Amino acid sequence: MKKRIGSRQILLLIMLFLVALIPMFIKTPYILSILVMTFYTASASLAWSILGGMTGQISLGHAAFMGLGAYISTLLLMNANFTPWVSIIVVFFVVGGISALLLSPCFHLRGPYFSLVTIAFGEAFRNLLTNWNYAGKGQGLLLPFGDNSLILMRFKSKAPYFYLALVMVILMYLLVKYIDQSKLGYALKTVREDEDTANAIGINPWKYKVIATFISCGLVAVCGVFYASYIRFISPDIMMQDQSVKFVLPAVIGGIGSAIGPLIGAIILTPLSEYLNATLSSIAPGANLLVYAVILIVVILFQPRGIMGWYENSKFKIKLNNWLDKLDGRKKE
Amino acid sequence: MSTFLQAGANGLMVGGIYALIGVSLTLIFGVMKIINFCQGELLMLGMYTSFVLYDQFGLDPFLAIPIVAIFMFIFGALLQFTLITRSLKDEDDDTNVLFLTVGLGILFQNLALLYFKSDYRTASSIFSDKIVSLGVITVSLPKLVSFILLIIVTALMFLLLKYTNIGKQIRATSQNKIGAEVSGIKTKSIYAATYGLGAAIAGITGACLMSFYYVFPSVGEIYGTRSFIVVTMGGLGSVVGALVSGIVLGLMETIGAVVVGSSFKDTIVFLTFICILVVKQRLKTKRG
Repeated sequence: MKKRIGSRQILLLIMLFLVALIPMFIKTPYILSILVMTFYTASASLAWSILGGMTGQISLGHAAFMGLGAYISTLLLMNANFTPWVSIIVVFFVVGGISALLLSPCFHLRGPYFSLVTIAFGEAFRNLLTNWNYAGKGQGLLLPFGDNSLILMRFKSKAPYFYLALVMVILMYLLVKYIDQSKLGYALKTVREDEDTANAIGINPWKYKVIATFISCGLVAVCGVFYASYIRFISPDIMMQDQSVKFVLPAVIGGIGSAIGPLIGAIILTPLSEYLNATLSSIAPGANLLVYAVILIVVILFQPRGIMGWYENSKFKIKLNNWLDKLDGRKKE
Repeated sequence: MSTFLQAGANGLMVGGIYALIGVSLTLIFGVMKIINFCQGELLMLGMYTSFVLYDQFGLDPFLAIPIVAIFMFIFGALLQFTLITRSLKDEDDDTNVLFLTVGLGILFQNLALLYFKSDYRTASSIFSDKIVSLGVITVSLPKLVSFILLIIVTALMFLLLKYTNIGKQIRATSQNKIGAEVSGIKTKSIYAATYGLGAAIAGITGACLMSFYYVFPSVGEIYGTRSFIVVTMGGLGSVVGALVSGIVLGLMETIGAVVVGSSFKDTIVFLTFICILVVKQRLKTKRG
C-alpha cells in the first residue's frame, strides 16, 4: 500500500513550522533558553531510551557519557581548534566505542546490577576528570568566547542554538523511531522481554546489548557536544548521578519504550523544572527536583507505563483518530 | 609502616560505617529483594533526626540512637506499607521499584534541602574530640564507639534472623513468598517490618555518623552507592558478609589513598567493585 500524505502528516508539519517560528516572535532569551534545554533534555532522553527503554538495560550513568562527549569536543576545540561539527562524528564513535568496550563484560548482569555498574562507571569517570590536570580538574573548562561563528558553533544570541537543538531533537526522534520499527529494534525488544527466548531464536542478547550501548552512549555524547557549545562551560559536575536521572525521568514519565514518550516527558518536565528553578531557587532551593520526584512517584504508582501508556488505552486516542480520519475524508471501516 | 597502620585503623573505622549501612541494605535488598536506591537517603534522614534531637533537646547522638531507631523503623515500615508495596505486585519487573526508590531518594533529599537548607550541620557528643592512642596509632573515640556498636548491631541482626520467630518468618518470606503465605505468615507485615528494620539500622548508622561527621542534604549519595557495593561484595542477604566486605571496602579506600594518592581512591573503589561483580557473575554462570 502506498503511503498517502494525510492530515496527520500535515498537522505535524504545521506544528513543526509553528515551533520553528517561535524565535521570530519571542525574543526573551529566558524563554528561548528553556526551550533549548527542553530540546536538549529530550534528545538525551531519546538517546537513553535506546538502551534503557528498548533494550531494558536501565543505565543510571548516561550523564558520564554525555560529559565525556562534552569534554572530548571541548579539548579538541581548545587544543587543536577542531570544529564541533567534526567532533560530533568523532565523539559518537569514540564514546560509543569506549562505552561498548567498558560495558561489554557487564551485560551478563541483570536488573539492578547493571544499573549499579553504570553508576560505578559514571562515578569513576567523574573522579578521574575531577583530578585530571589537562582537563581543568574540578574547576572545569571555559570554552573560548568570541564572535559568532557557525563553524565553531558559537553564537551570542539564543536563536541559532534554538534551531540547532530543534534539528538535533528531530533527527534524534526520527532515528529512534526508525530503530524502533527496524529489525534491530525488534531484536532489542525481544532481548528486553526475555533473554532466554531471544537466545533460543538466534538473537544473541550480548551482541545486541553491545550495539544498543554503542548507539545510545554515542548519541548521548553528541548531546554533550551540543551542551558544551551552548553552555560554554563544562565541569565534572555535569557527570553527576542526578544529571543521569534527569535523562531517565522524561523517558519514564512519558512512557518507556516508545519514541514519542521521552519527547512528551521532556516537553512536560523540563519547562516546569526550569521555571520552578528560576522562580523558587532563592526562597525554596530544590523545589524543582521535589516536583520531579513527586511526579515520578505518582506516575510509577498509578501509571507505570507512563503518559503514553495511558494514552494508548484511553478513549482520547480513539476520538483523536476518528477526528483525523474525518479530516482525511476516510470512512471508518 | 606507621602510616600504613594508621591508614588501616582509619579504614577499619570508615569500614565500620560502610558495614553498618551494608547490613541495613542487605535486609532490604538481600533478604526482601527490594531494590532500594534510597538507602543513603534513609541514612541522611537518620542523621537529621539525630541532629534535631541534639539541636532541640541537647541529646547526645549516641543516647539518641534508640529514639532514632524507633522513629526510622516506623517511618520505614509505613513507607513500605503504603508506597513500595504497590510497586512490588509485578514480580518479574523490578524496574518500577527501582524508579520508585530513586524518586523517593530525590524527594527526601530535596525535602531536607528545603527544610534544613544546604548548610553543613554538626552535633557533638560527650565522646567528641577525645582520642584513644594504641601504640603508634590514634583513633578518635566516637569512631571507636561506633565501631563497637556496629559489632553489637550486626551480632543482634544475625541472631534475630537465625533464631527468633520473626527472623524465621522473614527468611521464609524471602525464600518463597507464596509458600510462606500458605503457612500462615502475614507476608505483608513481614515485608513492612523488614523494611522498617533496614531503615532503623540505616538510622542507627546515621546517628553514629553524626557523632563525628557533619550532615547535609546530599550526604546520602556517597553512602547509598557504597551500601550497594558492600551488599553485592558480601553476598545477598548475608549479614556477616556485609560486615566483612564493609570493613574490606573501608580498608581498600584508606590504604588505596596512601598508595595511589587520595584523589583517585574513588576510581579504585568503583573499578574494583565492577571487577568483583563481573567475576562473581562469571563464576555463578559457570557453576550453572
